[in-house]
Amino acid sequence: MSKRVERVVVVGRDAAAWLAALALRRAFGPVGVEVEVVELPSLLHAVDVYAALPSLAGLHRLVGLDEREMLRACAGVPVGGQRFTGWSGGDGAFVHGYDVQRLAIEDLDFLQYWIKARGEGLRVPFEDFSPAASAAKQGRIGRGDGDPSSLGALQHGYHLDARAYAALARRKALSAGVRARTEFAAAEFDANSIAAIRLDDGSRIEADLFVDASGAEAVLIGGLAGSDFESWGRWLPGDRILAASAPALKPLPAFAQISAVPAGWIGLHPLRDRTALVAAFSSEQATDAEMLESAARMTGLRFGGDAIAAPFAPGIRRSPWIGNCVALGEAAVALEPLDSVQLHLVHAGISNLVALFPATAGEMPESVAYANAIASHARNVRDFQVAHYRLNRRTGEALWDRAREPEGPVSLAARLDLFGARGRVVLYDDETFEEQSWAAILIGHGLMPRSHDLKVDKVPPREQMERFQNLLRLIAGEVRAMPTADQWLEPA
Amino acid sequence: MRKPLEIVIVGGGTAGWMAAAGLVGILGSDSVRVRLVESDEIGTVGVGEATLPQMRKFNDALGIVEADMMRRTNASFKLGIEFVDWGYQGSSYMHPFGAHGRPIGGVAFQHQWIRAGQNGHTFPIEDFSFAITAARLDRFDFPDEDPASVRATFDYAYHLDASLYARFLRSFAETRGVFRSEGKVVDVALDPERGDVVSVRLESGEILSGDFFIDCSGFRSLLLGQALEVPFDDWSKWLPCDSAFAVPTPRAGPFTPYTRSTARDAGWQWRIPLQHRTGNGYVFSSGFTDNERAAETLLANLEAPPLADPRLLRFKAGRRTRSWDRNCLAIGLSSGFLEPLESTSIYLIQVAIMNFIRLLPEAEVDPALAGEFNRLMNVEYDRIRDFLILHYHLNRRDDAELWRYCRAMEVPDSLERKMALFRHRGFIEQYKDGLFSPPSWLSVFLGQGLAPLHYHPMADAMPLPALLGEMEMLRSNVRTEAMALPSHALAIEDYCAASVAAGAAA
Ligand SMILES: Cc1cc2nc3c(=O)[nH]c(=O)nc-3n(C[C@H](O)[C@H](O)[C@H](O)COP(=O)(O)OP(=O)(O)OC[C@H]3O[C@@H](n4cnc5c(N)ncnc54)[C@H](O)[C@@H]3O)c2cc1C
Repeated sequence: MSKRVERVVVVGRDAAAWLAALALRRAFGPVGVEVEVVELPSLLHAVDVYAALPSLAGLHRLVGLDEREMLRACAGVPVGGQRFTGWSGGDGAFVHGYDVQRLAIEDLDFLQYWIKARGEGLRVPFEDFSPAASAAKQGRIGRGDGDPSSLGALQHGYHLDARAYAALARRKALSAGVRARTEFAAAEFDANSIAAIRLDDGSRIEADLFVDASGAEAVLIGGLAGSDFESWGRWLPGDRILAASAPALKPLPAFAQISAVPAGWIGLHPLRDRTALVAAFSSEQATDAEMLESAARMTGLRFGGDAIAAPFAPGIRRSPWIGNCVALGEAAVALEPLDSVQLHLVHAGISNLVALFPATAGEMPESVAYANAIASHARNVRDFQVAHYRLNRRTGEALWDRAREPEGPVSLAARLDLFGARGRVVLYDDETFEEQSWAAILIGHGLMPRSHDLKVDKVPPREQMERFQNLLRLIAGEVRAMPTADQWLEPA
Repeated sequence: MRKPLEIVIVGGGTAGWMAAAGLVGILGSDSVRVRLVESDEIGTVGVGEATLPQMRKFNDALGIVEADMMRRTNASFKLGIEFVDWGYQGSSYMHPFGAHGRPIGGVAFQHQWIRAGQNGHTFPIEDFSFAITAARLDRFDFPDEDPASVRATFDYAYHLDASLYARFLRSFAETRGVFRSEGKVVDVALDPERGDVVSVRLESGEILSGDFFIDCSGFRSLLLGQALEVPFDDWSKWLPCDSAFAVPTPRAGPFTPYTRSTARDAGWQWRIPLQHRTGNGYVFSSGFTDNERAAETLLANLEAPPLADPRLLRFKAGRRTRSWDRNCLAIGLSSGFLEPLESTSIYLIQVAIMNFIRLLPEAEVDPALAGEFNRLMNVEYDRIRDFLILHYHLNRRDDAELWRYCRAMEVPDSLERKMALFRHRGFIEQYKDGLFSPPSWLSVFLGQGLAPLHYHPMADAMPLPALLGEMEMLRSNVRTEAMALPSHALAIEDYCAASVAAGAAA
């Protein structure tokens, strides 16, 4: 029989490296797989934040991270959604709430009823019918227990201090038996595979499988033929990411606020002990200092002197698994820190690697399936991000005017066309965002469906009105019973 | 309220009447006005007797009572398909509507099964499938409501007389306001500027106009193919069968709750047991045999003397590049054809109807709706295509030219990749839309003789003796529970025996 994979070496840094090592060790340690991390210097700073979607809880179950412990360790807070302001050019704002499921009446999307009612003069915004958005706006967090089909069953994402979170993952990995080294010198390549990792002291580390979690640097996979990077820069204009910190907000908001500004966008992420700012922008349009200034002006917050900015290039590695080298995190896919997808992409890489963990050392045909899965995940998330840009209504600003030009991606064009026609969402394989999320942002950005499903017409208008009122009452009641974010963190 | 959409359906085969019944049954006659035209002279294909479990959803959506429908179509239950002589001569395997085993130790069942085999403990994979075990015993009962029971691990479909089913739906549709015309369409008028369909003219001179046209005219594809000239994507290099002889026999042999497909020199033969008769047919490739020999082969392999002369049908594998173009949609054989090996045609009709209802256009058709419809249908067709090719491509028969050709042919990349991963490590891809979930792929991969070399490494975390114990328990549980079911014959007798009259009418 062919040899099994017995040794895995992860070369990388921060959450991606440690989560990958931890997950692999937990899954394959019991069958004798050793995992070692060659740690590169961290790229995280004191001001950095990880904003995460509710799906992160799935990764935490896989690696055995307890939610409360994790939040305590990372000054973390639960969040019910994201609030977008300024994208329409006026003062329109909307919330993308993390609803567990799409709202439906007799198997038909609630949205369809709303489209019709709106055409007939209804003025209640769509998001008022989202339990998650309503809770988030009132600073409340669902308990997450109880009947999952009830309107009040909500899920939440997180804001986490990035350094603390990476440190937590590191501790967990080490105590799970992952070994750690530093002083990476270089990778040794052989026949388009990795032969070994050389350290500063001249020692060599060999392994059956190498994981590249080094971020954009791509220290392993970048040295292999066929690893070229496809840029998505023509759709995602940010080429610089800025991070900074301001004092904590009281009471604690239950959402992140993402505001469009002339040069890009600025995100405010409440944490327990501070408020983390993340901005993505085009360096053609503004300097780091100008971005920070406009953030201060817009929010009225005072940002400390330790702001930090770094260049950024969105895109995807055409082959994220070459020979015995698998890339995950930003070494495989780089997207803006918009929509809280950073850790989600790491998660997608890890869960696909666990499912496709090579059956043998040597030949690894799993690479093709891995590449397909990563690419389809990434393209779907990219479409979601590009949708924000494409649908903006800020006029007279170069970046935003250009972003509205309707050129590709084809998959996004199909989504926008169908939603505009009928309020239905095109979903491909491996979607991160389900119908309710797409509907929230597309309506939020002002893409109003031109027609509704005929089945709606079967309900008499009067009965329809009553249903709407009942629904609003129900949601209001459920939300009132939820704890505020502060109460959720410190239960009485 | 909008003015109701005026829809004209051309064709009254299974597709036409399912479409008519689906539209008025689900939308009601105030939202759509449906007219259907069919020609007694042209007639329907009239075969198509095996279905998939999804059909139950369609009937439910229309409020059709199952037992009633079964009684009136001479229907029997179907738990899967047996493939005889497919992998190699003398072999038999089943593709069940249900799972094999359940995940053990964090990995899908097949990984543990491969592992047990590599350790010298080989079990037939069928022993872990409740659907197969019951089927092989000719037994049937409905799935258990308790999800923890092994009796909840399967699903079922029907064998039915498709002409009676169409007749049943016709009366359903007509009582709900569908207006039927008899006559032959001789001309399709297009708008000279926009190219939309404006009306169809019957031989009698009558003109039917509408907002939207559904082409259910069968292989002719009168509107979509002929009038709108939407091209046909030909898949016959992968699926070379292009003909079939069909012939009914009296019911003989065991009353199986499954379809049988037996591989023959130039194709394969079906056996579909209905209540009152058995449907038989030989699907073959005219490139590898001729009509005369094909008819002889079929007649030589019947369980009982034929009730009629074998009827010849011709077809071509493939699909129209778009089934919805402008204000015209093709449903059924007019949109494409995939041979009945996995009973997918009625399913494709159903999916088309349901998607159409969800994307129902207004009088002015928004092309985005058609775009989404075509995307969804193409995904369905492509996935079924790959699955069908798999049956032909993975074979070890050396006795006939067709089988050698299929083994040597190049297959689509999407399929090549699936086979490579299964061979290497028993991995089966999962996808969101479209037919055939992992249990289906598993049964055909293994049945056609593709033995995985390795398995998911995580499987080894469970000690082997514990695994073997669990597998034994599962196997005996499947067996015991299946033995406790009533026979298929008794289940039919109790639930939906057709009256003598329904039998005579067929
Ligand atoms: C050999 C074989 C076996 C099959 N087995 C199965 C199976 O087991 N399971 C399954 O799901 N499917 C099976 N099918 C497919 C199934 O038979 C068809 O999908 C089904 O019958 C639908 O056919 P249809 O309604 O599209 O076309 P048809 O049955 O051909 O109906 C065409 C209709 O259009 C009308 N028409 C045509 N031209 C005109 C005109 N000019 N004017 C007016 N009317 C016109 C005709 O009168 C007729 O009513 C099988 C097919 C074949 C060939």
